[in-house]
Amino acid sequence: MATESIDYVSPETKTKIEDQILLRPGQHASGIIDWLTTIDHKKIGLMYGLAALFFLIVGGAQALLIRSQLWDHNMEVLTNRQYNQMFTMHGTTMVFLVIMPLSAAFFNFIMPLQIGARDVAFPRMNTLSLWCFMGGGIILNLSWFFTGGSPAIGWFGYAPLTDTRFAEVVGDMGPDFWIFSLQVLGIASLLASFNFITTIINMRAPGMTMMRLPVFTWMTLIVSFLLILALPAIAIALAELMFDRNYGTNFFDFLEGGKPHLWQHLFWIFGHPEVYILILPAMGIVSEVIPVFSRKPLFGYGLIVFSGAIIGFMGFAVWSHHMFTTGMGIVATSAFSILTMLIAIPTGVKIFNWIGTMWEGRIRFDTPMLFALGFITMFMIGGFTGIMHSSVPIDAQHQDTYFVVAHFHYVLIGGALFGLYSGFYYWLPKMSGRLLNDKLGKLVFSMMFIGFNLTFFPMHYLGMIGQPRRTHSYNEGHGFETWNQIATIGAFILGVGVLIGIYQFVSAFFNKKLKPAGKNPWDARTLEWTLSSPVKEYNFARTPIIKGKDQAWENKYGEREMHSEKEPLDDHGVHMPDRSWSPLITAVGIFVLALGLLFSRTVNELGELDRSYNMAIAGGGVFILGVIMWALEGPGGYHLFPKEEEE
Amino acid sequence: MRRFFNPLVRFYTPLFYLLLHSSCSRVDHKQSALDPKGLVSQNQYDIFMLSVWITIFLFCAVGGCLLYVLWRYRAKTKEEAMEIPPQSHGNSKTEVSLILASAVILVILAIPTLQGVVLMNRVPDANDEATLKKLNLDRSQIEGAVTVNVTGKRFFWIFEYPQYGIVTANELVFPASKAIRINLRTEDVIHSFWLPKLAGKMDLMPGQENFLWFIADQEKIRSGKSSEEAMPSVFDGKMRQVVFAKQKFTDEFEPVGGLFYGQCAEYCGNSHAYMSFRALAQTDADFDAWVKRFQNSQNPNMQPTTYNPEMEYEKDTIITFADDSLGENSVREYRSTKKIAKGEAPNLSAKSWEKAHSDNYEIGKQLFSSLQCVQCHAVNRTGIGAKGPNLTLFGLRTSLAAGWMRNDEESLADWLKNSNEVKFGNLMWNGEGVDDNHPLRQLEDDDVKVNQLVEYLLEQI
Repeated sequence: MATESIDYVSPETKTKIEDQILLRPGQHASGIIDWLTTIDHKKIGLMYGLAALFFLIVGGAQALLIRSQLWDHNMEVLTNRQYNQMFTMHGTTMVFLVIMPLSAAFFNFIMPLQIGARDVAFPRMNTLSLWCFMGGGIILNLSWFFTGGSPAIGWFGYAPLTDTRFAEVVGDMGPDFWIFSLQVLGIASLLASFNFITTIINMRAPGMTMMRLPVFTWMTLIVSFLLILALPAIAIALAELMFDRNYGTNFFDFLEGGKPHLWQHLFWIFGHPEVYILILPAMGIVSEVIPVFSRKPLFGYGLIVFSGAIIGFMGFAVWSHHMFTTGMGIVATSAFSILTMLIAIPTGVKIFNWIGTMWEGRIRFDTPMLFALGFITMFMIGGFTGIMHSSVPIDAQHQDTYFVVAHFHYVLIGGALFGLYSGFYYWLPKMSGRLLNDKLGKLVFSMMFIGFNLTFFPMHYLGMIGQPRRTHSYNEGHGFETWNQIATIGAFILGVGVLIGIYQFVSAFFNKKLKPAGKNPWDARTLEWTLSSPVKEYNFARTPIIKGKDQAWENKYGEREMHSEKEPLDDHGVHMPDRSWSPLITAVGIFVLALGLLFSRTVNELGELDRSYNMAIAGGGVFILGVIMWALEGPGGYHLFPKEEEE
Repeated sequence: MRRFFNPLVRFYTPLFYLLLHSSCSRVDHKQSALDPKGLVSQNQYDIFMLSVWITIFLFCAVGGCLLYVLWRYRAKTKEEAMEIPPQSHGNSKTEVSLILASAVILVILAIPTLQGVVLMNRVPDANDEATLKKLNLDRSQIEGAVTVNVTGKRFFWIFEYPQYGIVTANELVFPASKAIRINLRTEDVIHSFWLPKLAGKMDLMPGQENFLWFIADQEKIRSGKSSEEAMPSVFDGKMRQVVFAKQKFTDEFEPVGGLFYGQCAEYCGNSHAYMSFRALAQTDADFDAWVKRFQNSQNPNMQPTTYNPEMEYEKDTIITFADDSLGENSVREYRSTKKIAKGEAPNLSAKSWEKAHSDNYEIGKQLFSSLQCVQCHAVNRTGIGAKGPNLTLFGLRTSLAAGWMRNDEESLADWLKNSNEVKFGNLMWNGEGVDDNHPLRQLEDDDVKVNQLVEYLLEQI
């Protein structure tokens, strides 16, 4: 995205400086200011991706500590509290700081390119979403340095364990960090979701009808809807928990008449759609990759889109299958059991259609395809164990054992992470302009595939012979040792594989020895592959007029009348907005506000409770300042007139 | 259909067992859900195995298709990789029929699931002969059901038998022939009662009473042995002897059929991993004897009284009487060796009374109070505490520290000296009101006191 290298016909900046409260950095901003103030969806996507990969290393290290502790019976690598903190942080990090932002990275970078838009609908809001995400990630990990260390409540934070009454360290602040971090991350996701929905509905290029949208864009749309419908539930739950912990309300405190069940319902009404929020983007990626490497269009496009929507919709009707053992009674458990089984049908449809896509194709086994195939097989196993859990009597044995741990790692690593890695290998040439080393990619895939199965397949067996999850230790004489050791070895192989992959992704942007990718190295099908690699900051020099589903393919192999056209040239050029400081300032305001509320409760030397809201008020002030600047800073911007061959 | 299915079964069965019996190991581990020994758990296991077969069939069918497609349509050469295959967009007939097929397969799983839900949640009605016959149960097994109120606390279990008015902890003694109704409550956070071989699991939700039931399968528990061998009696200490003699703590497989392992399955705090328990199956007679013994121990009217010179005493009566050799104002328990007339005060030289217990026991008993153990634990009627496990008949238990270790002299001494080292985060060491000045924390270097306490506790039989 080096703007300097582009030779414009008429490079100019037409910013009316006198209109502005704070200078919006213009066309020639560079270096750190450029990255801090950028509103370019591609740069935001890259920062999302980079931060998520960093957190992937953090969460992975936590996982390896967990696995080391379980190497043998009664190990003392970690104390039990440290172990409990590890699995809490591992879960929270992997869900909220790795898989979700990795998906967001692709949404940001790829989706506008797939629909022929210059940027998302609200570019500054997109930036705010990025910095809120960073703030949330920082808040969560700050917890290590304060009273009680990081939270030890599990990523699900079941009440009443989160109540101050049951804190095992006096004045434990871990759960507070967890609450505020998730709230801030929720803001980030909501902002991004509204943005993506508006973009997909309003900013498609002419001719890009809804049923011509690439499946990945469809999944972006569905996931965005899931997020805006699911996040309010957890936002409410977290707010109630915050009031319980800090202001003496009794939402979940059963000793005062509160209801711990309520927390579980609220959490899983969010938490189950969340599972689809994690997996649907990966399904979208796989639905892009498989047609390309089979040289065939997606089999049953309509059905794949529709089943994605059905999965998303039904995701809101099955939350209680996480609660089969909480005593909901015969009727509720039966109903949720049947509904959960029904979800297997649209999921199965997708798998049939992917196989149908490959049928009679010309299948190439490049790294993205390998990861996509890994996704299908591993996700199938995760899906099958999911069907088992949908049956209440089976779940009565499986719930909270390693069998469940195996199940959701098959879905979230074998499914989501493999899908996202497939996406990286597939789209990085478009992002960086360089081809990745396919041999190294295949090594990464083999290590991840073997390591992953070594780690998690034995866990099915461990769960069945009685190892409960979230236990920091196990006693001698249960027969757990051998398979835990195999799992630990597998985890380290998986970890090294993931790490080499991350190295490969990052080095794609810096390693000048890699071959240039060209516009369309894979002979891929969708619109983003008609652009140069890396994509120019303005995306499309002239908005394309779309004629079919797989426009890049049609342009190359299709009939003449299926080739895309371009909107006529005018003297307007491409309007580019200026960069802006206000999203960053607003995000800093939210960050300080959250920390201020977190630290509002202190105990003075006399042991009395002190409340001080100075920091929160200051944060609120910065937030309001940011919003005001945002409103008043004016549009700014400049026009670019790319040469024809630059497109 | 059979011609198609049979070779499939023949081919995959060994594969599957290789998978399940990985490394030639077994599946009847102490806490294994794959080794059901009761009606409810057997039902859960059967549905699980049905789902395993269904999914293995699906995995092989779909995975086989996938492999075939990958092999058949792989691009063998660079030229082939650049060919353009027919650009077909789908086939609605195939798609619809696959959807219908998957729906049918789900129905196969859904029916036993719904039946299983009812079975798990409801003890069959004793008057419903059809159901009883189907489940192969006898009317008396239901009518004589034993109710146990289970209360979970961080990090141990309280077992109360309301029908008999007795309370024990961490070891659930139950008659193998009867249905056992378990009511689940918690006094702090959420726990989960998981007894894999008998019952599956159910959470203990604060402010709510949950329910679970099981009935053991005596045939399976005995597995060819006699009842005495498979289910040694608890009340006279045979169970403890047999378990200790027959089995090393490290054995993965349980040679005593009547001993079951369970564990808390919902994360409940620092020491969650240590919150396990055991369930001991008994024959009807042994269970009744155990109940009787327990009732006597916890019956306020049957505790030893202070010696009263105005009373006559039967043979083998236990009374308490001053004994200054144990310390100032101390009392000890005496047992009458014959019928005692009025005014015949305990006098060891006269042989009409004998010491009921050793000196160490008596001192241990005093320590149990003076070291403030009674604040949290109750033994018989001694002690007010319900914060910690009830220790009545503690010497009959096979395990210590909520099922974590073997209940022998050595482990008990280790536990008393520094329980935090054995089970980090336990509330005996870390609970409210226990700090470095607490007498419990001074025991570490005091072997004498520890041994006296051990003797006192293990003689609770």
